[in-house]
Amino acid sequence: MSTQISNDTLIDMHRRMVRIRLFEETAGKMMEDGKIPGALHLYVGEEAVAGGVMVHLSDEDQITSTHRGHGHLIAKGGEFDQMFAELYGRSTGYCKGKGGSMHISNMELGILGANGIVGGGPPIAMGAAFGNKFLKNNKVAVCFFGDGASNEGSFHEAANMAGLYKLPVVFVCENNGFGEYTPQANHQAIVDVADRAAGYGMPGVIVDGMDAVAVYEAAGEAVDRARSGKGPTLLECKTYRFFDHVGVRGMGLTYRSDEEVERWKKRDPILLMEERLLEQKVLSAEQIKAVHDITSEEVLAGIKFAEESPFPDPSSLTEDVYA
Amino acid sequence: MSLSKHAGATSNTGSAGSIGPVGIVANPASGKDVRRLVARASVFDNQEKQAIVGRAVIGAVAAGATEFVYLNDRHGIVANALAEHPHVNARSILEGDTMTALDTISAARAMKEAGCSVVMTLGGDGTNRAFTLGWPDAPLIPISTGTNNVFPNMGEATVAGAAAGIIASGLVSVAEVSRPHKLIEVSIDGERDDLALIDAVLTRERFVGARALLSPEQLAAILLTRADPASVGMAAVGGLIQPVKHSSSKALLLKLCGDNEAQAKHKIKAPIAPGLYTDLHIEDIDVIGLDKPVIWHGPGVLAFDGERERTLLPNQYATLKVTRNGPKVVRISKVMRKAAAKGCFVT
Repeated sequence: MSTQISNDTLIDMHRRMVRIRLFEETAGKMMEDGKIPGALHLYVGEEAVAGGVMVHLSDEDQITSTHRGHGHLIAKGGEFDQMFAELYGRSTGYCKGKGGSMHISNMELGILGANGIVGGGPPIAMGAAFGNKFLKNNKVAVCFFGDGASNEGSFHEAANMAGLYKLPVVFVCENNGFGEYTPQANHQAIVDVADRAAGYGMPGVIVDGMDAVAVYEAAGEAVDRARSGKGPTLLECKTYRFFDHVGVRGMGLTYRSDEEVERWKKRDPILLMEERLLEQKVLSAEQIKAVHDITSEEVLAGIKFAEESPFPDPSSLTEDVYA
Repeated sequence: MSLSKHAGATSNTGSAGSIGPVGIVANPASGKDVRRLVARASVFDNQEKQAIVGRAVIGAVAAGATEFVYLNDRHGIVANALAEHPHVNARSILEGDTMTALDTISAARAMKEAGCSVVMTLGGDGTNRAFTLGWPDAPLIPISTGTNNVFPNMGEATVAGAAAGIIASGLVSVAEVSRPHKLIEVSIDGERDDLALIDAVLTRERFVGARALLSPEQLAAILLTRADPASVGMAAVGGLIQPVKHSSSKALLLKLCGDNEAQAKHKIKAPIAPGLYTDLHIEDIDVIGLDKPVIWHGPGVLAFDGERERTLLPNQYATLKVTRNGPKVVRISKVMRKAAAKGCFVT
């Protein structure tokens, strides 16, 4: 294991994380202002996970995402124009405006889909990995899921097959401590989802999900292991969502305290990353600001693109629909 | 069976210890980091840790312990184990809310304050390092559930618990069955102090990251309180060339030269983690006395007891010295032999 990380990789991870943050903050505002229809589950606070994992993947590698999927999609290369257009339900979106937030997919980027069904991703990722092994194409599938999804039968069935056939898949559990509004202690008897790996014959490890460098190091090992034919890994990233389950302020439920949220915000993954970039003289404060400024402009351009795009024509109602 | 009836009888022998609660800290995070992936380190799930605490409590109660205090981690490892013993007088001394090493450090301070006669820790070298940060000269019975386990005992928890019970009952004093462990005291200019129990390492990596210390080509220097060829980790690196015992008033300092074979005085193959051997090039090796300062300059990362912990910037330096100011580690076999000699378990 070599843990040396290049400046280019650090800058790449930071850029991906900032892109997620600014996209999500704006999308959340647009939703709560009634400009984006439906529910958005925002990824703010969890950016280090997507950023740290995705720098190890090419467009050829596949991911499955969750209902909280924008961060995965952006970090995998999703463009703001098509992302916003999809949230706005416009025909220029990744799914021609018919998928919305929870069903964005793009095969060219290896995005096998966000998924509105909790636990919907693991069987798809396992199937993709089965195909990769069968075809000997050297691709890796990465399955993002949450602590809540780890209770679903679909996760256990997928993990069982992945372990049995030593498939090239990495199960990345984003344990943010809540299944929707239910604290983890009220929905499962364990705290470390990684403990479940042993039951499926794969290693399970825990990493600080607020630290992109830590995620990068652990994910690199897991992806290498998968790609070299050694089989799956369960990588549990301890993280936290800064916004509500849905939207920014959500429904104002009292399932967690403000103090708890503020405590986690002290370990904001982007601030932690930027402290390191400055400390190690990888980027200057001006260069960091430039990343934010450029990304903000791209966000505004994405919104403009979406708002100016047409809705799908009613005549296309039954096109691209599988039932 | 409880042996507490013997406490008064032995108090006249001159070898009785102080009576106080038994402290228990079980680190929920031990045995789960990336070293399960990059090396072949043991996995300790929290059910197993709970079972270990349960066996230790049974042993302690059998030996006469009547009062326990514990760090109530969010996993409920100790609380769940104690729930099976409702007759035991036990209380949480701290709620482990941060889920970080801070919980262990704070619990150590609280246990010192509470006058614990002895503390059982479940974890590896890192867990015990954290405990020592809160209570440097604590009376400890460390039970291994970690990755690098040079410091803790690999023995059976039932017996470790019995030893704790005997000490907590005052039947045997900590002083007669322990010896203060060596400690690496670390000061970093401009920042808070730190410490290590077994090893301090300067690596030329840039980040703490996933903490595991597994890039041998980046290792620049190693300072050891113990160098043991029968161990795993940095203690083995030194131990395979120049063993230094726990009891010795010496420490071992190694300078490494990365991939530069020509500069190496020693080339060794050592297990730097469980199941992971690697070749290392040692430029120099020095046996040094206690209290002798060693200065390491940045840039780099300081690792303590097997985990990257602190970043040293280019203009920073750290001063390290090995002292004998560490925890009083109880020798379980010695406790049990003394207990047997006193007939403590004879009914």
